[in-house]
Amino acid sequence: MIIIQFIQPAHNTSEQVLATDISKTISISDSVKAILKISCCDCHSNNTIYPWYSNVQPVGWLMANHIKKGKVELNFSEFGGYSPRRQLSKLNGIANSIKDDIMPLKSYKIMHKSAQLSTDEKSLLINWAQQSIDSLSVIK
Amino acid sequence: MKNIILGLTIAATTLTASSVTDTNSSGSIKEIVSSYLQMKNAFTEDNSTGAATAGKKLEAAFKSFDKSALTAAQKKTYEDVEADAREHAEHIGANGGNIAHQREHFDLLSKDIYDLVKAFGGGQVLYKDFDSMFNKGKGAFWLSETKEIRNPYMGKAMLTSGSIIEEIK
Repeated sequence: MIIIQFIQPAHNTSEQVLATDISKTISISDSVKAILKISCCDCHSNNTIYPWYSNVQPVGWLMANHIKKGKVELNFSEFGGYSPRRQLSKLNGIANSIKDDIMPLKSYKIMHKSAQLSTDEKSLLINWAQQSIDSLSVIK
Repeated sequence: MKNIILGLTIAATTLTASSVTDTNSSGSIKEIVSSYLQMKNAFTEDNSTGAATAGKKLEAAFKSFDKSALTAAQKKTYEDVEADAREHAEHIGANGGNIAHQREHFDLLSKDIYDLVKAFGGGQVLYKDFDSMFNKGKGAFWLSETKEIRNPYMGKAMLTSGSIIEEIK
């Protein structure tokens, strides 16, 4: 138990805002941006805000695995690099998974009380995703 | 006798080999379409597990698709569709038991398969059917092999709601 504490996974943090960042592809209001940062970006971007217990193993390992999977599914830092077709799919996925309460994950919300979405926050995000879908569909 | 057996074996092997190549050249889009239709039919029966099985089959069909015969432009179209459609197939495959979520992916998957069929042909006559109620009245379409309407979004609740909006030959 003590020994494994020395095996720390690499952190998912990047100071750089990539050219493919979602904020450079579609417009996001400050309020939506703030919700995304608190409730989504720990697992869906290149920037995780790590809690203290992430330094306790094996919690940190589980977390690293979680983040890896989340980023494969959707990465806001690389959103601009997706094809228009995938961008539309991802936005649909965002709206649907919030509507269906699939995201944020239950296990994540237990530890991150602030990540829980209120009804207002949910509709704010869903409307934003919907508007973005409409604006992308026009371009397409 | 020995020669006859040998001859027959060679003939049989050649026949099998040529039929395999035949299905591969035009058959993989066919395989993709048939897995999609299998999934669609599972949804019309509210069969979530059946849809998941078809999802895994569809994912495998995309994976084994032979791109070598495609032109550069075709390859681009195919890869664009594939990247998206495979993810939907994977999600539908992994979400047996959650039919509402599977159907949301099926909506997006249907768009992908439609574009694929429009670009490469479906290997059979297909109908593009539209249901105006799904997605809170935004509507959604699906592809079908039959003229008869069997709605995969509504399933048994409203099986015959919808209409044909295009015949794809």
